[in-house]
Amino acid sequence: MMDSLRRALALTTAGGIGLLTLSGTVAAQSTSRDLIMGLNRNLMILAVPIGIFMTALLLYAVLKFRNREEPKPTGESKALEISWTVATAAILLFVGLSAYGVMAEPAVTAPKTVEEVEGDPVEVDITGQTFRWIFQYPEHDVTTPDTMVVPVNETIFMRVHSRDRIHAVHVPKLALKSDAIPGQVNTLQTTIHEEGNYTLYCAEYCGRGHSKMYAEVQVVSQAEYEEWLADKQAEGE
Amino acid sequence: MVGLTQTVVTAGMGIALIGISYWLFKVRKEKRVAADGGVQDVVDEEGYSHHEKPSGIVRWLTTVDHKDIGLMYGAYAFFAFAFAGISVLIMRTELLTPEATIISLDSYNALMTTHGTTMLIVFGTPVLAAFANYFLPLLLGADDMAFPRVNAIAFWLLPAGALLIWAGFFLPVIEPSRTAWTMYTPLATQSSNAGVDLFLLGQHLIGVSGIMSAINFITTVFTEREVSWGELDIFSWTILTQAGQIAFAFPILGAALIMLVMDRNFATTFFAVDGGSPILWQHLFWFFGHPEVYILILPPMGIISLVIPRFSGRKLFGFKFVVYSTLAIGVLSFGVWAHHMFTTGIDPRIRASFMAVTLAIAVPSAVKAFNWITTLWNGRLRLLTPMLFALGFLFNFIVGGITGVFLGAIPVDIYVHDTYYIVGHFHYMLMGGMVFAVFAGFYYWFPLFTGRWYDEVTGKIHFWLVFVGTQITFVAMLIMGWGGMPRRYATYLPRFFDMHVLATVGAFIIAAGMGVGLVNIVLSWMYGERIREGDPWDLERDGLKTPDWDWFDENRVEPLTDGGSETNPIDSNTEGEQ
Repeated sequence: MMDSLRRALALTTAGGIGLLTLSGTVAAQSTSRDLIMGLNRNLMILAVPIGIFMTALLLYAVLKFRNREEPKPTGESKALEISWTVATAAILLFVGLSAYGVMAEPAVTAPKTVEEVEGDPVEVDITGQTFRWIFQYPEHDVTTPDTMVVPVNETIFMRVHSRDRIHAVHVPKLALKSDAIPGQVNTLQTTIHEEGNYTLYCAEYCGRGHSKMYAEVQVVSQAEYEEWLADKQAEGE
Repeated sequence: MVGLTQTVVTAGMGIALIGISYWLFKVRKEKRVAADGGVQDVVDEEGYSHHEKPSGIVRWLTTVDHKDIGLMYGAYAFFAFAFAGISVLIMRTELLTPEATIISLDSYNALMTTHGTTMLIVFGTPVLAAFANYFLPLLLGADDMAFPRVNAIAFWLLPAGALLIWAGFFLPVIEPSRTAWTMYTPLATQSSNAGVDLFLLGQHLIGVSGIMSAINFITTVFTEREVSWGELDIFSWTILTQAGQIAFAFPILGAALIMLVMDRNFATTFFAVDGGSPILWQHLFWFFGHPEVYILILPPMGIISLVIPRFSGRKLFGFKFVVYSTLAIGVLSFGVWAHHMFTTGIDPRIRASFMAVTLAIAVPSAVKAFNWITTLWNGRLRLLTPMLFALGFLFNFIVGGITGVFLGAIPVDIYVHDTYYIVGHFHYMLMGGMVFAVFAGFYYWFPLFTGRWYDEVTGKIHFWLVFVGTQITFVAMLIMGWGGMPRRYATYLPRFFDMHVLATVGAFIIAAGMGVGLVNIVLSWMYGERIREGDPWDLERDGLKTPDWDWFDENRVEPLTDGGSETNPIDSNTEGEQ
């Protein structure tokens, strides 16, 4: 039994390492995504070998013990029970602690008000309204639907509102998600490292137009951002 | 005009009720009823109340026999499963193209709603009650449930509840509910469609039925048990724990549903923005909703814990620990509900504590998996259909469990919340877990409740198609969810096209497997080889025979006169004797 176990273990580790090298490096479009993908990779380092180990154990048991002549009677092993309980608990404790550390970051759990944000963040009020997104820049008195333009490498602080029912801001490429709940303000904070266009989806089912409730997040250079703001302000006047 | 119609309807209903009361009164006078609900004048010394069952449809309409009720639960669950299965096939076909082409957005949302509610509430809980009704009394050595009549009422509420839930699809003027199974407010209060009210009331009826049967199971285990607590089998333990969860969780659902009906119709403000809060709904709903998923997985774990040892030729490893972990899950399942609400902006300290309990509940789940694998070790595995489904369950449970731990970690949960990743994860647990265990149990007990063998080769084809289809469909969902594809989307961006096609292909492979299974079940039930021995699985050899098979054996050797149909095992035994 021990021998077969050891062999299974060796196989698992080899497979796990192989898979991990395949999974490649972490993409880093925003600080939020950085943190979450980093955590995810740490969890994968544990989860992939464990998953392969369990599956290998299962497969091995099925192949080895199928159609055997005589089963051995079931023994009892308190030591075995306690050791796998403790091992699982230890792994989950690690998961919990590393998740807690990442969760405490403002790019994952944003502060409730802009005053608590360090530096001078770009403020955007995002409002969900069946079935559209509206973006307001309170510092510049600019309101624009469907497209949110923000500067690259700046802290962005977003307040998420809803006018009618629950929606959710979901920008997977930037790892931003927050429910938009009427009568409540939720917040998001991040810094984006890569210029480009990112899709904003509505992630909370909100009725007929839910699957068409998209907006675009345009991440541009500081200069382009200021130009865009000026254009919008001119339009407004 | 409306007033007149209403008066006439009310008067008609009144007269009908008086008539029914009169009839019931007369019937009651003619037949004396025993305190336990059994009809006294047909109960013999051994307490078997099925000696003088009426024949034909009347038997099924009037039965209080736990085995008959179990079969009716099964038949009903089959229709519910088919309804939800066909609805998902239509949805998956629609999702072959990014735009809505075959059905409208509204139809998609209605099907998505009905698929979830039907699978979880109309099918899920009742199909497990089918097993519990039929086998719990047999495993306990009891002659019936503690309250046979309550048992019958609990069953008869189900078809009524299901019809109300589906009413929008059949009634001409009412539209089906499109609230999603979670019925989040304010969306659920904003829709003026009366179909939503019927949908809510239907769920309420099924909830009442669930509470009734749960109380019945608990009472049966405590009072009708012929075995000691120490001898109580693992399946009965899981049913007892699950019934306890139902008794605590379903009343919350019932209360929340009525509050929602009142918000919709009587201008109360429980879940209004200016009143209670839309978040209050989510708390109440998930206080029911998360225990519900454990309600759906615990008895399947019991079935697996029963099937794996019987096809491994050795007793369940760490029986006591499996029981403890069942009880631990039963308790902890009430402390995890807010992990469905990590993105709603609830206090981070509350989130952290729910993360802790969510990760903690993975410990007893993992303990079970280890015990099952150790049970296989050094066994004599017989890879027959029930065992294949049990092993398939084990594999899916590992995948579902590991993806679940990722969801327990809040930052990762925030990333994938409300995407197909979640859909993939819980389908690994519910389709790959619960449904696989239901089939493991179904094939395992098929000889007992039909008196015939199913076809082994067809059973294996059934398993492999469903297993392969499950992997394709739900892995595709995990991948596209990780890529950001939100759930409950009737249309999608072309970038997710490949994975959606893959998921649809997998869904049709599952459907093909289910078709094969259905043919096997129907033909085997009608024409399968008759069982000639009292121990068809040869459990005696390893000392693993349970009281249900003793019951089968005894009733085979001493056939009782029965007014039942030809499919009854007892009839086949009579023929076997001749």
